[in-house]
Amino acid sequence: MHFDLAMPGDLMAALLPELVVVGGAMVLLLWAVWRPESDVHQRNVAIGAVCVTLLAAAAVVYFMVSDVSSGPGVIAADRFRWAADLLFLLATLIAIALSSDFSKREGITTAESHVLILLATSGMMLLAAARDLIILFLGIELMSISVYVLAGLYRRSARASEAALKYFLLGAFSSGFLLYGIALIYGAAGSTNFADIGRVVSDRGFAAVPMLQIGLALLVVGFAFKVGAAPFHMWTPDVYEGAPTPYTAYMAAGVKAAAFAAFIRVWLEAFPGTIEFGPPYKVLWWIAVATMVIGNVVALAQKNIKRLLAYSSIAHAGYILVGVLVGTPLGASAFLFYLVAYTLATMGAFAVVIALEEAGERNLNVQDYAGLWRVRPWLAIAMAVFMLALLGFPIAGGMGFFAKWYILQAALDRSQYYLSVYLVLTSVVSAGYYLSVVMVMFMRPRVEGAPLPSRVPRATGIVIAATAVLLLVFGVFPGPVLRFARDNTITIAPPGATASPVSAPVVPAGNSH
Amino acid sequence: MRGLLTSLSYNSWILPALLILPLLGVAAIYLVPSARNADGNRQDDIDAPGAARWIALITFAAEFALSVGLWWSFEPGASGWQAVVDKGWITEWGARFTVGIDGISLFMVLLTTLIMPLSVLGSWTSVRSKVRGYYALLLVLTTGMIGVFVALDLLLFYVMWEVMLVPMYFIIGIWGGERRIYASLKFFIYTMVGSLLMLVAILYLWTATGSTTFNYDQILAAASFSESGITVFGTFVSASLLLFGAFFLAFAVKVPMFPFHTWLPDAHVEAPTAGSVILAAIMLKMGTYGFLRFAMPLFPDAAMTPWVRTTILVLAVIGIVYGALVAMVQPDFKKLIAYSSVSHLGFVMLGIFALTVQSVQGSLMVMINHGISTGALFLLVGMVYERRHTRMIDSYGGIARVMPMFAVFLTVVSLSSIGLPGTNGFIGEFLVLLGSFPTSPYLTVIAATGVIFAAAYLLWAIQRILFNALDKPENKRLPDLNRREVLVMGVLTVMIVWLGVYPAPVLRRMEASANRFVETVEQGAKVPPAPRPVSLEGR
Amino acid sequence: MLLQHAAAGAAHPLSGTAAEWLWLLPVLPLAGFVVNGLLSLVPAYHAGPADPSATHGGDHAEGMHADQHPEDEHAEAGHPPILHRFASIASIVGPLVLALSFALAVSIFVAMLGAGEIHTPFIQRYFSWMPAGELNIEWAYQLDQLSIVMVLIITGVGTLIHVFSIGYMREDPGYPRYFAYLNLFVSFMLVLVLGASYPVMFIGWEGVGLCSYLLIGFWFSAKANADAGKKAFIVNRIGDFGFLVAIFLMYANLGALDFAGVAERSAQLAAGGTLVTAICLFLFLGCTGKSAQIPLYTWLPDAMAGPTPVSALIHAATMVTAGVYLVARSSFLFSLAPVASLTVALVGAVTALFAATIGLKQWDIKKVLAYSTVSQLGYMFIAVGVGAYVAGVFHLATHAFFKALLFLGSGSVIYVMHKAYHHTHRHDDAQDMRNMGGLRRHMPVTFVLMWVATLAIAGIPVFAGFFSKDEILGAAFARAHESTLADASLLGIPGSIVLYAVYAMGLIAALLTAIYMTRMMLYTFHGDNRTGEAERSQMSEAPWVMTGPLIVLAVLSAFGGWLNLPEFFTDVLPLGKTASLDHWLEPVVGEATLRITHGSAAHLSANTEYVLVGLAVAAAASGILIAFTMLKPAAQGTKEQAEVRGTDTGIERVLANKYYVDEAYDAAVVNPIVQVSRKLLWRGVDVGLIDGLFVNGSAWVARGLGLAGSWVQSGQVGTYAWAIVVGVLAVLGAFTFG
Repeated sequence: MHFDLAMPGDLMAALLPELVVVGGAMVLLLWAVWRPESDVHQRNVAIGAVCVTLLAAAAVVYFMVSDVSSGPGVIAADRFRWAADLLFLLATLIAIALSSDFSKREGITTAESHVLILLATSGMMLLAAARDLIILFLGIELMSISVYVLAGLYRRSARASEAALKYFLLGAFSSGFLLYGIALIYGAAGSTNFADIGRVVSDRGFAAVPMLQIGLALLVVGFAFKVGAAPFHMWTPDVYEGAPTPYTAYMAAGVKAAAFAAFIRVWLEAFPGTIEFGPPYKVLWWIAVATMVIGNVVALAQKNIKRLLAYSSIAHAGYILVGVLVGTPLGASAFLFYLVAYTLATMGAFAVVIALEEAGERNLNVQDYAGLWRVRPWLAIAMAVFMLALLGFPIAGGMGFFAKWYILQAALDRSQYYLSVYLVLTSVVSAGYYLSVVMVMFMRPRVEGAPLPSRVPRATGIVIAATAVLLLVFGVFPGPVLRFARDNTITIAPPGATASPVSAPVVPAGNSH
Repeated sequence: MRGLLTSLSYNSWILPALLILPLLGVAAIYLVPSARNADGNRQDDIDAPGAARWIALITFAAEFALSVGLWWSFEPGASGWQAVVDKGWITEWGARFTVGIDGISLFMVLLTTLIMPLSVLGSWTSVRSKVRGYYALLLVLTTGMIGVFVALDLLLFYVMWEVMLVPMYFIIGIWGGERRIYASLKFFIYTMVGSLLMLVAILYLWTATGSTTFNYDQILAAASFSESGITVFGTFVSASLLLFGAFFLAFAVKVPMFPFHTWLPDAHVEAPTAGSVILAAIMLKMGTYGFLRFAMPLFPDAAMTPWVRTTILVLAVIGIVYGALVAMVQPDFKKLIAYSSVSHLGFVMLGIFALTVQSVQGSLMVMINHGISTGALFLLVGMVYERRHTRMIDSYGGIARVMPMFAVFLTVVSLSSIGLPGTNGFIGEFLVLLGSFPTSPYLTVIAATGVIFAAAYLLWAIQRILFNALDKPENKRLPDLNRREVLVMGVLTVMIVWLGVYPAPVLRRMEASANRFVETVEQGAKVPPAPRPVSLEGR
Repeated sequence: MLLQHAAAGAAHPLSGTAAEWLWLLPVLPLAGFVVNGLLSLVPAYHAGPADPSATHGGDHAEGMHADQHPEDEHAEAGHPPILHRFASIASIVGPLVLALSFALAVSIFVAMLGAGEIHTPFIQRYFSWMPAGELNIEWAYQLDQLSIVMVLIITGVGTLIHVFSIGYMREDPGYPRYFAYLNLFVSFMLVLVLGASYPVMFIGWEGVGLCSYLLIGFWFSAKANADAGKKAFIVNRIGDFGFLVAIFLMYANLGALDFAGVAERSAQLAAGGTLVTAICLFLFLGCTGKSAQIPLYTWLPDAMAGPTPVSALIHAATMVTAGVYLVARSSFLFSLAPVASLTVALVGAVTALFAATIGLKQWDIKKVLAYSTVSQLGYMFIAVGVGAYVAGVFHLATHAFFKALLFLGSGSVIYVMHKAYHHTHRHDDAQDMRNMGGLRRHMPVTFVLMWVATLAIAGIPVFAGFFSKDEILGAAFARAHESTLADASLLGIPGSIVLYAVYAMGLIAALLTAIYMTRMMLYTFHGDNRTGEAERSQMSEAPWVMTGPLIVLAVLSAFGGWLNLPEFFTDVLPLGKTASLDHWLEPVVGEATLRITHGSAAHLSANTEYVLVGLAVAAAASGILIAFTMLKPAAQGTKEQAEVRGTDTGIERVLANKYYVDEAYDAAVVNPIVQVSRKLLWRGVDVGLIDGLFVNGSAWVARGLGLAGSWVQSGQVGTYAWAIVVGVLAVLGAFTFG
C-alpha cells in the first residue's frame, strides 16, 4: 500500500506502530497506578508490556511484508525503518524480561518501569522514522527523558541516583547542541525536512554554506553524545555502572541503536554523498578511530564487569560508526546486521551479569566470576559465547564475526584500508579484556568459601539461552539475517550519493593524517 | 582397494564425514550421563572419567580408519583437486562449503588423523579433571584442523583457521601448567594479530574479484594485484605486496618463524601432553601449509620479489641455527623440543622459498616427519612427566637403567629428529637442502650446519636424561612404559623407520602437487626457473 | 625387484652367480640385530631396581671399567657376575650371522674370480628410495673389486671379533644388547661399502657412526663413557656436514649422485678446477671426521671407553677406514684435483707424525693403540692422497689384521687384569701399563701373538705391515719425483716439496711407531710384574674362545703382505704373485692412478727403491732398538718407579696431555657457543628483546594507557562537560578550517 503523508489519516496510519506502543504505555500506566505496588502487580504489568511490544512488532511486520511505500513527508515508511523498529522491539522485550526479574530480586515494586521502557521505545521508533529534524528531536527527547528516569528508578541506590543526575545534566547539555544544530541547518536550508536539506546541499554545495557546516557539526556532536562516541563518551561508564543493570543493557543496545538509525538517515538523506566533502567525513573518521581506540584501550583497565561492558559498548559504537560514515546503502545494511549481533550479544552478556548479581547489586567484579565454569558450566559457556561474539570471533563467537566482517566489507568497498586496519587492530586489543573475562571464569580456581550463585531467574535464563543459541545458529548460517540486512537497507539514494562508490579514490581521505 | 572405495563412492563423502564425525563424538560425550557428586555437578574427574575418554578414543580411531582410505583413493599422478565436495553456504556472499585435497593436504589430513588417536592414547591418564570438556575440545579442535587443510573456500578456510584457536586456548589455559594463563593468552593474541590482518586481505581479494566468490581457484585465476596499491610516505606499495604481508604475518606467526616464535616455548611447555603434541605435530604445519596453499600461489610476484624472498630465506636460516642453539641451553626438556621445532620449521620455510621441486617435496616431508618425531618426543616427555612430575632435564639421569623401553624409544625418536639416514628425519632435511642448494647455495650451507647442532642439543639432552649415573633416589624406582605406551610409541617408531627407508610412495603422491606449486609461483612471478642440474636421465 | 635385477644385471658376467645374493650381505647381520635386540629388551621389559640384573648390570659394567668405578657401589662389586638369561642364544646368533655373511662374501668373491675380467661394477637396483622431480635416488648396491675387498675384511675380521666377544662380554648383563649393536654396526658398514651412490653410502656412513656412539657409551652409567660416545657422534657430524655439502655440489653441478654417473660426468669437469677441488675437499672433511684425522681426530682416543672388541672392530679395523675407502671410491674425482689430493696427503702425514708422538707417552694400553690407529690412518691417507689408491687399500687391509690383533690382545690382557682385580676387590686401573709388566710368564701365547702384530705394525720385513707401509712411502717419494701433484702447488708451495715433506714425515712416524709399540710391549709383557701378589695368582691365559681368533689374526698379520708383493721382493725370493692386489683393483682405480702419474705406471729405478726400502727397514729396526736400550731399564722397574716416571716435565708433559688439544677446542669452540647461546641468544634476544620489549612491553603500554584513561574518568560532571566543550570546539574547528 502507499501512504500519502500529506494526508493526516495516512500519516496516522504510517505511525501505527508508534501509536500502538504509546497507547499501550498509557493504558498500562493507568493500570499500574490503579493497584498498590506489589511484586505480583509489577510482573503482571510486565506481561502487559510484553503484549504491547508484540502487538507493535506485529504491526511492523505487517507493514514490512505488505511492503508499504510513502510520498515525501516528515516521516519515512521504508523497510529500513521497519527493520530498525524490530530491533528496538527486540531490545525492549529483553529489557522488560530482565527488569522484571531484577525488580523482583532488588525488591523494586514500581511497575512504572515497564511503562517507561515502552515510552522510550516509542521515542526510538520515531527516531528510526524521522525524516524531519523536528520529529528527530522529538524522538530523541522522548527516548532520553524516559531513560533518564529509568536510570534513577532504583531510588535506594545512591549510585543509580548519581548516574541518573549525570546522565540528565550532560544529556540536556548535549541536546542543547543538537537543537542549535537543527536551528542553524534550518536557517541555512529554510527547511527541516531531510529531502529539502538534501536538495539544498546538492544544489548549492555544502562547503558554500558555512551555517550549514556549523549546523551539521553541532548535529554530529549531539549524536556522538547519544551513541557515546569519543570524546563525548565520558558519561557512559558512570551511567552504565550506576544504572540498574537491565536498563544499562537497554541503553547499551536500544538507545545507541536508535541514535545511530536516525543518524544514518540524516547522513544519507539530508547530507548525501558525504564522503565527497572533506570536513564532516574527516571529523567522523577521527571520531570513529578515537572511539575504537579509547573504548578498547580503557576497557583493558576495568575491574567492574558493568564498566567493562560500558567501554566495550563505546568501542562498538566506534565499529558501527565505521559502517555509518562510509555513507553507502551497504554501510546501512552492515549497520543493521551488526545491530542484530550486537544487541543479542550485549543483552545476553548483561543478562548473565544480572543472573550473577547478588541482591543489592553486589558481585559485579570480574574476579567474582572466578571458577564459574566449575559450578555453573552452562552460564559460563554462554558468557564465553557473548564475549567471543563481542570480540568478533567466528563459530564460537557466533555471528559476531560476520558482523565485523560486514562492517569491514562496507569499509573496503569504499577503499577504507586504514580504517579497516585500525578496526582489526583495536579488535586485537579488545581480546585483552574479553578473554580476561573468559579466563577468569574458566581458568581461575573458585575462590575459597565463595557462595554458589543463586538460581538463575526464569525469564533471565530464557533470555540468556535464547540469545546465545541465536548467536550461534546465525554464526554458522548467517543467511537469513544477511538477507534481512541487505533487503532493508536505506533505499533512497539522492543524486549526490550515487556518484560516490565507483569514483571513490583509491587513497582514502584519512591517509593524510 | 581403489575399486572398493569407488564402489562406495568414497570420495564423495569422505571429507565432510571427517569434519562431522568429531562433532558427533562431542555430542556423544555430553549425551552419555556421568556420575554427579555432592553439589550436584557432573563429576568427571579422573576418578570417574565416565565414557568420555573412550568415546574420544573410538571417534579418533574411526576417524583414522576412515581417512586411511584416502591413501588408496588418491590419484598419485594428478595435480588437481580430489575428493572435492561443493555445497552452498552463504550464498549472499558467494561463500561456499568447498573442500578437497591435493598431494599437499592429503598428508596433512592423514597426519592429523594419525596423531590424534595416538596423542589421546599416549596421554590417557594425564588429564585428571573435567575430563569431558577436555576430550570434547580435542574433538572440536580436530574438526577445525582438518577443515583448515581441506578448505578450498577462503572464507571457510579463515573460519576454520580461527576455530582451532579457541579449543587450544582452553586446553592450554585450563589443563596446562603453572604459567598456563599467560601462555594461553599469549598464544591467542599472537595468532590473532596475524590472522585478523589476513581477514582484511581476504576481504580485499573478495571485493577485488567482484564480491562474488571466495573460491580458491577462481581467486587464484584472477589478475594479479600488483597494479593497484597505496602510497605510504610517498613510496608506492603494490597491493599484492601488502596482501602478501598480511598473509605472511598470519602464517609466519603460526610456523613460527623467527622472530615471531616466542609464543611457542610458552604454549608448548604449559600445554598438557596432548596439547603439546597437537600443537607441534599439526598446528605448526598450518603456517607452512598456508604459505604453500595461499600466500605464495596467490601473490607470487610479491613473494618472489628479491628482497622479500631473501629476507624470508634469511629468517628461515636464522630460525634453523638460532632455534638449535637456543634449544641446546634449555634446562626444561619441553622447551628444548619447542625450540627444536623452530629449527625444523626453518628447514620447511627454506625449502618452500627455495622453490625447487626437491626442496618443496623435502619441506612436505619435513612437515610430516616433524609431526611424527616431535609428536613422539612430546608424548615421551609426557609419559615420564606423569611418573616423575618434572620436566627439568637435570632431575633425571641414568634412567635408561630403570626404563629401558623408554630409553629405546627416546633414543630412536631423537635420532630421527636429528635426521639420521634411515629414519624419516633424514629424507626431509636432505631433500630440502639438496633442492635449496642450487637456488641459494650459501644459505643452504649455513642451514646444513643445523644438522650438527641438532645432534649436539638432542644427544646432550638424552645423555643427561637416560645415561650417566642413576644417582637420584626418586629415579631409582620409576616404572617402565606400560603396554599402552609401548603400543603408541611402537606405531610411531614404525612410521619413523618406514618413512626413512621407503618414502617413495609418499613422495610420489605429493610430487605432482609440488610440481604445480613450483610452476604456479614461477609463472606468476615470472622468475626464471631455478637452475636445474645438467642432463638427468632418470638417475 | 626381481625384474629390476634381470634388467640391470642381464649383460653382466656376474649375473646369475652368487653375486645375485648381494642384498643378503647386510640383511643377515640386520636379522641378528633384530633378534638380539628383542632378546635384550624382553627381560628388560620387566626390569626395575628390583631386578638384580639391572642394578648389578651397571655395577658390573663399571667393574669392567675400573677407573670410573663409582664409590657408592663398592658393596656389590663382589657379587658373582649374573649372566643375561638369554646369553646363550645371543652368543650363537651374534657370531653366526657374521659367519654366514662372511661365507656368502667368500662365495661371491669366488664367483668374481670365476667370472674372469670384470670391467664394469655389478649394480643391483632394489627400489627407488628418494624420487623427487628429476632426482631419483635408488636403493642400489654396487659390487666391484674394491667393495668385495672391503666386504671380506669387514665380515672376516668381524667374525673373529664377534667370536672373541663371546669370551670377553659373556658375563656382562647387557650381553644381547652388545651383540645387537655389533650386528647392526656390521650391517651398516656393509651398506657403506656396497652402496652404489653417495646418498646410500651416507646411510652406512652415519649408521656406523650411530653404532659407534651406542657402543662407546655401552656402559652408559659412567658419565665419561656417555660423554665419549656423544663426542664421537657430534665430531663425526661435523665431518658428515662436509660430506653432505659435497653431495649437494655434485648434484647441483653434475646432476648425478651414483658413482657411475658421477664418474661419467666428472670427465666434463676441468682438471684441477675450483669445483672438483671444492667437492674433494668437502668429501675429505667427511673423511677427517670418520677416519679421525686432524683436526677432527680427538674423538677416537676417547672412543676407547667402549668395550675392547669394539675398539678392535670399529675403531681400528673397519669403520675408521671408511674415509680411506671413500677417497679410493672417489678416486675419479680426487685424481682430477691435485690440490685436494695434496691436502689429503699432507694432512695424513701430519696426523701420522702428530699421533705417533702422542703415542709415546700414554700409559693406558688402549690409548697407545688408539693413537697408533690415528697414526696408521694417516699413512693410508698419505697413500690415497698421492694417488696410490691400491697402497692405501693394501695398508687398510694389513692394518685391519694387525691392529685388530693388537686390540684383541690388549683385550685379553685387560680381561685377565680385570678378573684378577675383580677377584681381590681391588679397583686399580686394569688398563694402566704401570700396573702390568711381566705378563709373558702368565699369558705366553698372547705375548707371542702381540709381538707378531708389533713387528707387523713396525714394518719389519716379511710381516704384513712392512709391505704396505713401504709401498706407501715409496709411492709418496715417487709422486714427489713426477706426477700431476708434483706439478701442482699447495698454498704456493710446490707439490714436489710438499710430497718430499710427506715422505720425510712418514719415515719419522715409522721410527716413532716402532718406538712406542716396543715401549708398550716392554711395559706390558717384559720385566717384573707390578700387579700385586694376590692378583698374580689369578692371572692366566684367556680362554680359547678369545685366544683362537688372535691366532688367526696373527697368521694374517704375518703373511698378509702376500696380498700385494712388490717386484723387488719377488725378484729376491719368488714366492707368490707380484702385485696381485694392484691387478685386482686395476679396473676400479687404475685409470685414476694413471691420470696422476701422467699415464706412466711410474716406478722408481730399482736402486732408488732399494734405498727407500733400506731406509724404511732401518727406521723400524732402529726404533725397536732405541726402545729396548732406552726404556728396558725403566720397564724393568717396580711399580713405584713407574709411577714416578708418570710425572713428566716439559715436552713429555705436553705429549702426555696430548698437546692439550681437547682443552683448546673446549675453550675456543664449545664453551663460547654454549655461552653465547645461553646468555646472548636465549636470555638476551628471546627473553629480553622479543618477549620482554616487544610482546609484553606492548601489553604493558596498552594497559598503562587504559589506566591513564580510566584515571581521566574522574566521575565529576564538570570534567565531562568540559570534555564535551573541548570536543565541540575541535569539531567546529575541523569543520570550519578543515
